[in-house]
Amino acid sequence: MSWTIVVGVKQVPDADEVGIDPDTGRLDRASAPAVMNGPDREALEAAFRIRDQVGGEVIAMSMGPPNAKTVLKEAVAMGCDDAVLISDRAFGGSDTWPTSLTLARAAEALEADVVICGEETTDSSTGQVPPGIAAHNGWAQLTYAEAVDARPEEDRLAARRDVEGGHELVAADLPVVVAAAYGEFDPRPAPLHRKIYGENDFEPTVWDAEDLEIKDEVGLEVSPTSVGGMETVDPVERKGEVVDEIDDLADSIEEVVA
Amino acid sequence: MSPELESDTVADPNYDDEFDAIVVGAGLAGSAAALTMANRGLDVLLIERGSSPGAKNVFGGVLYTPTIRELTDFDDAPVERYVAERRFSMLSKDDETAVSLRPGEWHEKPHNDSYTVLRGDFDEWFAEQAAEEGATLLNSTTVTGLIREDGRIAGVETDRPDGTIRAPYVVLAEGGNSLVSEGANLKQTETRENVAVGVKEVLEFPQRDEVIEDRFRLTDEAGVSYHYFGEGAVGDAFGGGFIYTNEDTVSIGVAYRIEDAAAHDQSPEETLNAFKSHPAVAPLVRNARTVEYSAKTIPEGGAESIPDLVHDGAAIVGDAAGLVLNNGVHLEGTNMAVESGYHAGNAIARAADKGRVGADALQAYPESLEESFVVKNLEHYQWMMNAVEEDRDLLFEDLPRAFADAGTEYFRMDRQPKESHAKNAKSAVLSAVGGWTGAAKLALRYRKVVT
Repeated sequence: MSWTIVVGVKQVPDADEVGIDPDTGRLDRASAPAVMNGPDREALEAAFRIRDQVGGEVIAMSMGPPNAKTVLKEAVAMGCDDAVLISDRAFGGSDTWPTSLTLARAAEALEADVVICGEETTDSSTGQVPPGIAAHNGWAQLTYAEAVDARPEEDRLAARRDVEGGHELVAADLPVVVAAAYGEFDPRPAPLHRKIYGENDFEPTVWDAEDLEIKDEVGLEVSPTSVGGMETVDPVERKGEVVDEIDDLADSIEEVVA
Repeated sequence: MSPELESDTVADPNYDDEFDAIVVGAGLAGSAAALTMANRGLDVLLIERGSSPGAKNVFGGVLYTPTIRELTDFDDAPVERYVAERRFSMLSKDDETAVSLRPGEWHEKPHNDSYTVLRGDFDEWFAEQAAEEGATLLNSTTVTGLIREDGRIAGVETDRPDGTIRAPYVVLAEGGNSLVSEGANLKQTETRENVAVGVKEVLEFPQRDEVIEDRFRLTDEAGVSYHYFGEGAVGDAFGGGFIYTNEDTVSIGVAYRIEDAAAHDQSPEETLNAFKSHPAVAPLVRNARTVEYSAKTIPEGGAESIPDLVHDGAAIVGDAAGLVLNNGVHLEGTNMAVESGYHAGNAIARAADKGRVGADALQAYPESLEESFVVKNLEHYQWMMNAVEEDRDLLFEDLPRAFADAGTEYFRMDRQPKESHAKNAKSAVLSAVGGWTGAAKLALRYRKVVT
């Protein structure tokens, strides 16, 4: 028994480098380099754990511009067996609906038994793509999975899910889409030779919209999301006061509380 | 029809003996070695423990670039400012006596090959130059040891799983805290008297633009290098302080013997804060915000502390080889790092052409380093560290005070004739140095600083 485990990874602006301009208080995204979405590293770790259990292949997929190859090379450096970039100008402006359709078709083409994604991306935080992939393909889904357990003899994957007030253990028939809960799968370090290979010598396969036969089903036109408007909220003016004596501090607190 | 994956993926990559050389550390020495070897057609693996080259590197702030300019398209290099003024300043507790040099020639390219740089930017760029020549840069990987085979060094061990890799040559460019070289018995751990601690802050001035230009009298890309000595700079310790101007920031720091940091109950942070508060320094950095704080150890053993530079299958370069010059007037290390990396790279390329890996085949590296300014300068100033150590109270405390007193006396405005002021000034200095005889002895002892 060996499974094909497909992991969705995305290139996002480095959250550590998206600084806040100390003078204006605004976000400064432009200077942030593109890196792999943090939760996706954990999705990779979850995939490697399943591969450790049942054997098989872990294949990374990403939908993005040509320079998103970097995160796929990194995924191979971390331990993926192969990677595919889905890239086409036609994808421009796609919201989560066509995005999850695209990834669903790619997962189908890869004959995935399991698809694993991070629970959300740090640049848009919708969390809609993993359930979207499951919905488009009519596959089972295990969202907010804190732990995974492969049951190859039953053709099922079990997951411990984080739910309000505790957790539940759910087993789903393959193929299944998993959203890995962030913070639960500490990524293992990349092996040395694999890191050299992934970063330098590996080149991902590239598919376009035509390859997946979805050219007319993607892009801005077919994206149902519309932005109603944006509002910037001014920070609330807060009163600051320095007191020298503890008693004065107590007085100030009393004043406010009273 | 379903699309398919291209099938040339390697299932189990192995790079043992795929590279001609491994360089440990992508600082200036390591990247210079990698660039030199890549230029000569060698396959080089450059291993860096930081998330990018320069992320872990600290130095004061001025880079001397004659060799880098030869090796790269230096016009593209991310330098901050060229050094247009060098100022040497003696600080007693409250006084400053300074000498400043602003030669017109330094405004002309190549600006005396002296630039302020920030290592995070510069080292990344320099390593990229090596990568563009074909070297393979591997970040976030720490070399933890060396592999030996039949007595010779045959590769490195890293902190990664499946973490050993073999190659015929290893260049150790791991910096002053050279745990790999020491762990492999390629060099002795440096004694505490021969190691300095440097701490540095990078400051920005958020209130308005052009603070740096105004305070340091600068236009365009000109910058300054200020050096400070005396008890106002580092208290009782043996060392000094510095201020360098970057494009939008200022680097300010102190460097002094680690022994003094340990023995004199003088933490580097406190020493730096005291220096920043000195009446002659504080106005230069007022209303600044600290954007970076860093510290490092500096090998200052001089020529006597240089270990055997070549071993069977390995060479040691840069700070790891103790190639740092600090004689007060000259503070150099990164230029020597580049020079040593360059000579080591050349020697390895020559040995590789002949298919030889023994230390004798790499002997061209120490030989050309001996012939270069690196060892010549280190040997020339070896005597000085010892002399200065002997005279430290005089040089760092009594003299700065005496010069300040002399200046105060000489220019005193009162109703006495100038002649009596000059006499008082002279006696302030003479009493500090032990009369005319003492002055003559001092002059003789230190004449080689400038000759």
